[in-house]
Amino acid sequence: MPELKSRLLQALIAIFGVLTIVFFIMRLSGDPTLLLVPDGATAEQIAALRHVLGFDRPLLVQYGAYLLDLARLDLGQSLVQHAPVAGIVAERIPYTMALAGGALLVALGVGLPAGLAMAVWRGTWLERALAGFVLAGQSLPTFWSGLLMILFFGVYLGWLPTSGSDDLASLVMPSVALGAITMSSFARMTRIAVLDELSRDYVAAGRARGLSYGAVILRHVLRNAAIPVVTIAALEVGNLLAGAVIVETVFAWPGIGQLAIQSIASRDFLVVQTIVLFVSMVYISMNLLADLAYGVIDPRIRRDR
Amino acid sequence: MRRISLGTALIFAGLLAFIVAAIGADVFASNDPLRQSLLLRLRPPGTATATAYFPLGTDDLGRDLLARILYGARASLMVAALSVSVSLLVGVTLGLMAGWFGGWVSIVAMRAVDTMLSIPAILLAVLTVAVLGPGFFNLVLVLGLTRWPRYTRVAYAQTLQVAALPYVRAAEMAGCGPGRILLRHVLPNIAGPLMVVATSEFGLMILFEASLSFLGLGIQPPYPSWGSIMSAGRQYVVRAWWLTAFPGACLFGVVLCVNLFGDWLRDRVDPRSQGR
Amino acid sequence: MRALAFSFPAMLLAAGVAFAQPKDTLIVDLPGDVATMDPHLQWDTESYTVYRNIFDNLVTRDVSGKIVPQVATGWRYTDNTTIVFDLRSDILFQDGSKLTAEDVAFSVRRIINPALKSPQLSQFDQIISADVTGPAQVTLRTKTPYPALMAQLVKLSIVPKAYVEKIGDQKFNQEPIGSGPYKLRTWQRGVQSVLDSNDSYWRVKPPFAHVTFRAVPDIPTRIADLRTGRADITRGLTPDDAEALKGDKSLQVMPVATERVAYMFINALAGPTKDKRVRQAIAMGVDRDTIITALQQGYAKPVNVVLTPANFGYIADIPGWKFDPVAARALVKQAGAEGATVELLTSPAYDRRLNEAIQQMLGEIGLKVTITMTDQPSFLRRRQGSPEEAGALSQGRWSCACQDADGVIFPLFRSGSIWSKFNNPAFDAEVDAARTILDATQRLVHYRRAFEILREEVPGVGLFQDNAIYLARKELKWIPTANEAFFVTEMTWQK
Repeated sequence: MPELKSRLLQALIAIFGVLTIVFFIMRLSGDPTLLLVPDGATAEQIAALRHVLGFDRPLLVQYGAYLLDLARLDLGQSLVQHAPVAGIVAERIPYTMALAGGALLVALGVGLPAGLAMAVWRGTWLERALAGFVLAGQSLPTFWSGLLMILFFGVYLGWLPTSGSDDLASLVMPSVALGAITMSSFARMTRIAVLDELSRDYVAAGRARGLSYGAVILRHVLRNAAIPVVTIAALEVGNLLAGAVIVETVFAWPGIGQLAIQSIASRDFLVVQTIVLFVSMVYISMNLLADLAYGVIDPRIRRDR
Repeated sequence: MRRISLGTALIFAGLLAFIVAAIGADVFASNDPLRQSLLLRLRPPGTATATAYFPLGTDDLGRDLLARILYGARASLMVAALSVSVSLLVGVTLGLMAGWFGGWVSIVAMRAVDTMLSIPAILLAVLTVAVLGPGFFNLVLVLGLTRWPRYTRVAYAQTLQVAALPYVRAAEMAGCGPGRILLRHVLPNIAGPLMVVATSEFGLMILFEASLSFLGLGIQPPYPSWGSIMSAGRQYVVRAWWLTAFPGACLFGVVLCVNLFGDWLRDRVDPRSQGR
Repeated sequence: MRALAFSFPAMLLAAGVAFAQPKDTLIVDLPGDVATMDPHLQWDTESYTVYRNIFDNLVTRDVSGKIVPQVATGWRYTDNTTIVFDLRSDILFQDGSKLTAEDVAFSVRRIINPALKSPQLSQFDQIISADVTGPAQVTLRTKTPYPALMAQLVKLSIVPKAYVEKIGDQKFNQEPIGSGPYKLRTWQRGVQSVLDSNDSYWRVKPPFAHVTFRAVPDIPTRIADLRTGRADITRGLTPDDAEALKGDKSLQVMPVATERVAYMFINALAGPTKDKRVRQAIAMGVDRDTIITALQQGYAKPVNVVLTPANFGYIADIPGWKFDPVAARALVKQAGAEGATVELLTSPAYDRRLNEAIQQMLGEIGLKVTITMTDQPSFLRRRQGSPEEAGALSQGRWSCACQDADGVIFPLFRSGSIWSKFNNPAFDAEVDAARTILDATQRLVHYRRAFEILREEVPGVGLFQDNAIYLARKELKWIPTANEAFFVTEMTWQK
């Protein structure tokens, strides 16, 4: 498959581009030396530490050294935590996956039925109400809606833990907060896909054979409409991974988003670069898979994106 | 032309109201949004003193919340509008060129799109603000420059379709240059889908500015934006609910209206979603 | 079904027993995670809060702030630069090995070794050698007579030499062993650290069997945790939070006046504030009483200089600048600085409201203050850079955790320091002298003169003595201290 080969090559180029952009932006934002010295340090002490850490070398030299390490699969040491970066980031990935999974579940669980209902009861007040509902989920800043959720479900009702990551119950609120942001795009995709299917001949044929409208939808329409929706879901996973910065901060969820923000704030370069590397690899491979899957499922679709 | 439904009319009216409020902030606000009175902190809506009336109460520095929300509307809407314009300009230019010229132009442009899309936007924004420093124009620049790839994708796909249309071919035959063809014939044809993207991005940009404010990197103090009023007020969510409830309601209203408007626009532009 | 019937009363029984027993686990909500468990590698507040419960220090401070023995039983100066410490010989590390003079000497040498890259190096680099001079005796030598030495040694954790050398620095950071009242059980990075009590601890019986330090970055979330009992104590409340929570019957707000001084830095070397009159006008234009009553809600005490009464060297009778906007305005006019733009540098780490309040106050005396807020590293880069880049103003909250003027006004205003944007040879001479004399009375004479110069020249102005505000469940008994130490052994739980 020469097609696949060129796609893989392009994916590699994109990842290389990500690394380069993030490397140079990070370095331009200043080095962490000042954050590592105590308040009373003298200029000489600071210069000495900067030298030891290698931040006084020309940027291109540092870039080359970074790429060399990367080629040897060495992600380096965190300057703040004095521990290997690979471990620091890897420890957070299960949390990030759990949150992304939970959010996806919420988004699909609400978005799919809502989209279906919006298509079936097209043009009614129900459609408008549902459209308003799913859009409402993404129209509030999470740092506020998340806090209101904590106060209501955590403090007032006492149903859910107010923070933390030790059990399934503590995953509920962050998942809802994050899932609410994406559910409208699922609802919209489902609605369009179902409308598309409803206009096809087999629906009328099924009805003519005496099948009920509900049966046609359940047996045929949904199955066919699922394809584009699943594709969107695959693409959303990339966004859910590190887009959860604020949700993670508010709910004290230890995912890579929170780690990334903290590492930017402490200029822990290698941690940030590793996180971005991870996210972009997931995103690009999801993209690739979705494209390929699309082509396999429906050969009429030309890959032109 | 279909007639506009009541719901749609309401959406338009809502949007218009916010725009008018933002433009006319100077007229509608009876108090100076920056004027503090430290002895009148966190007063509830309806507080009146001998010299001033605070219909929506005061914030944690004793400033009039109504005035801050009105001026905040200006900042929030301006940031969103300008950053969407920047993204549109960059994204559409690249997309048109990639779609028309194809070849290496499209390869470079679309790889750049992949690259940009795979960096989480919020991280990229935080990093760029760290380099450029905060401030209104930098904020617009940062938001604009992180969000262009979505437009490029749409513009590219649409341009490919439009470029194959007979009348565009005819124009090319007639000797029109690519610039003229793209601006005169292609762009008007692909404007619909682009507008759909732009509307949904507009809502996102308002929220994005709020997120950056929450991280302390939004509009510079003491000037208000909805995001900065809310992120400062969330500490008082129990004690002084008005500090987040009123700007939150405004933000919710605008973003919801914009999104509903986007849905409406999409139905008109995209024949697939209209049903047949 | 039978199994259920059997286990249900058993569960009730277990619950009843747990209720009757003293509290087993203390849960602490911190704003962040520990950066390193190695006490010589980081000293950010979070790491410091946790690892100081794992390690002992050579000396410590009692509740009143007095320096008292811990690992050392006593100390004496044999000459101005040589101090002999006698040590206890009954302390065991958590692996069962004995804490010896070798370990103490090793700990000092380790932290002053530049190769370790300790961020605390500049606090200890006055020490030039640490030698074992007897079976339970260590002798330290300093470059010059160094009066702040004991105050700095309060922060020196004693680590086990043999263990560190055996497993190496990297592993030690993951699996630290100390001689303190608690030992590390698990450290889930970004999530929490769990400590178990060290039941053979020599000093006291640790009050809780376990302590969990959780990382919860957002203050409202931490407060929600306290309200629901998910956590027992947290810190970092604002005065407004404290006021709002006063009425909560299950919680207690615990404020303490600290050695942390809130101050306004004023650039004396560049920009409009280069003119002394403008700096003096700023000192007169800031209404500190209103800041304390309205913004700090009384959770602060006025100070007359850039230092707090909790520090050695505080001179109570130096007159501070009185709030006088009329005189300030006149002075600004006289200096020809009316309408001048004054840049206030800041970052999200500092109190937003204080910045904006000061902006308005200075606006009223004729200065146009613009606030530039960047993230912390960018802020530091400018603030610690050349005078031209450093902005005209910025607020700070300074603590050296040493309760000595030397740790405050020396780094802030001594020329050559990265924080200082002030160049005054007379001031330099006074603070240089005060850091190399052991005699307390003589040191106070120098600090008096130093503060008089600061008062006249105003390279900075003290705003207030800051409070640390903790929020705890009602049952927790604890007296927080001025140096913001968080020793679990000082706490108890009473139903």
